[in-house]
Amino acid sequence: MLKIEHLTCGYGGAPVVRDVSFSVPQGGRLCILGPNGSGKTTLLRAIAGLLSCTGTVAADGQTLNGLPPRRRARAVALMSQFAAAGFDYTVYETVMLGRYAHREGAFWTPDSAADRRAVRESMQRTDTWALRERYVTELSGGQLQRVMLARAFAQAPQVLLLDEPANHLDLRCQAELTASVRAWAAEAPGRCAVAVLHDVNLALDLADSVLLLQNGAVRWHGPAAALDMAALDEVYGMDVRGYMRKALGRWQKGEHDVPQPL
Amino acid sequence: MKNGKRFLLLALAAAAALVLGIGVGSVWVAPGDIAAILAHRLFGAPLPAGLPAAFVPMVLDMRLPRVLLAFLTGAALAACGAVMQSLLRNPLASPFGLGVSSGAGLGAALVIVGGVSVAGPGTFLLPAVSLVFALGTTVLVLALAARLDRGASGTAVILAGMVLSLFFNAVMNLLATGDPAHAQRIQLWMLGSFNMKEWSAVWVLAPVTAACLPLFLRRARELDALTFGAEQAAALGVDLRRCQNELLLLTALLTGCSVAFVGVIGFIDLVAPHLARRLFGAAHRRVLPASALLGGTCMVLCDLAARTLVPSREIPIGAITALLGAPFFLLVFFKTRKREAGHAED
Repeated sequence: MLKIEHLTCGYGGAPVVRDVSFSVPQGGRLCILGPNGSGKTTLLRAIAGLLSCTGTVAADGQTLNGLPPRRRARAVALMSQFAAAGFDYTVYETVMLGRYAHREGAFWTPDSAADRRAVRESMQRTDTWALRERYVTELSGGQLQRVMLARAFAQAPQVLLLDEPANHLDLRCQAELTASVRAWAAEAPGRCAVAVLHDVNLALDLADSVLLLQNGAVRWHGPAAALDMAALDEVYGMDVRGYMRKALGRWQKGEHDVPQPL
Repeated sequence: MKNGKRFLLLALAAAAALVLGIGVGSVWVAPGDIAAILAHRLFGAPLPAGLPAAFVPMVLDMRLPRVLLAFLTGAALAACGAVMQSLLRNPLASPFGLGVSSGAGLGAALVIVGGVSVAGPGTFLLPAVSLVFALGTTVLVLALAARLDRGASGTAVILAGMVLSLFFNAVMNLLATGDPAHAQRIQLWMLGSFNMKEWSAVWVLAPVTAACLPLFLRRARELDALTFGAEQAAALGVDLRRCQNELLLLTALLTGCSVAFVGVIGFIDLVAPHLARRLFGAAHRRVLPASALLGGTCMVLCDLAARTLVPSREIPIGAITALLGAPFFLLVFFKTRKREAGHAED
């Protein structure tokens, strides 16, 4: 579980995220919604410890502020938006990097049996085991996203942070991604996930609670089933449900099966 | 196992290059004679009867230190190149390409013009000053690149390095013109040379290289993580600031020490890591030792070419490495550009 209290952070000038507090229970999946520039990614980076901030971040009752990077990375993993590799690493080597935080000692140590098991499990979970000998430089965008998810799983964190995880993914892969994150969060005690997503439908498929950000502050926070539509319309400055209905109308006219938006 | 075999072959190639480097010259010294002379020096074994007496000082005082220094310099610069390429996420980065070598060379040139003899106290002053200049150049290049482009992207770093490199070369040329007494030595410095090197240089560079390479290797996993970008490395648990500072300091130290004794020699530090990755994959626990072995071997062979291609005259080794390395640089550059374009389409 994750508990954030009075978190404020930014990049030197005026704070980008202001006095944000929320918590995610164990097994919970929170989705952060908000327009571009509302501070979603900044908030995620601050939770991951990539950005110094005021306020407290606690995972499973342990305060993360000021922890050494390796200790922090054992509690929190971030699957980030940019995932290009410079050189020809194999997929297996890439996922194995997720085990970095679990190594001890000042010198280079070989991969332990536990490392190899964790890597294999997370690769099977994301359907990337068959790609293990391939080079990350030759993967498609969608395959690369799955490899990055596998690496985040291999890190065996309590809190999984996902920044636009569905980028480059086709519809089926999107559905598989949300299913695998939901299954992962429910599987062991203490786990939870926080995702930044642009697609409201996908967000509601993944999450059981929603945090709506506006100009770096919390506009609305609550269970996904009770999402405040008026607040959503206001934050995005448009009729979100009307837009979805129009999309739905196109489906109905074509007499296709009707998807379930909102 | 496959990698183990390749490393064995690489080590054999390195040994062969060393033997060749010692053997070839005005007179050919056979490998058997080299072994006998070494055994004589190290273990006091008697010399074979037919061996000309002049061979002993020629091998021990001239060729052996020269070849060892070439190998150490190549190994040190290549390892630095591999570290820089990962640290800056730039396949074109190297101590020479970033101007760090030229900066160190300028430091050394200032010491020479200052009139400090390279023997005696100069043995330590020269690398010390070069190290400070190498470090200063590293900081300057990164700051300049950050100004050119906030992300300090690939092209900006290379551009900043080239600008500084040209500037330092110009200053070195000015120093040479203003001080005719040392002009020849400074000009030799600018393209590098292993000529007339004594054991003292080996005794300084050997322990520094022997200390730095394991320290690089200690950070092999961090370097792997950094290849995916600073942000991702930090999210994986890498202590970014400590790791980057430590590695940049070590590359400056190693580059400074190499350049201090032999001058500015480019391209091997760029080429060797790429060859190493081609042979052993991208993981740094293999790339670092392989780069060092390849860099050392290439440098010994280039030095061999530098002193034997034109009879009785020596070509500056920097010219040989540039001749072979410049086309390679273009190859890497265009390959990278193509790959970046490929990703943009994705």
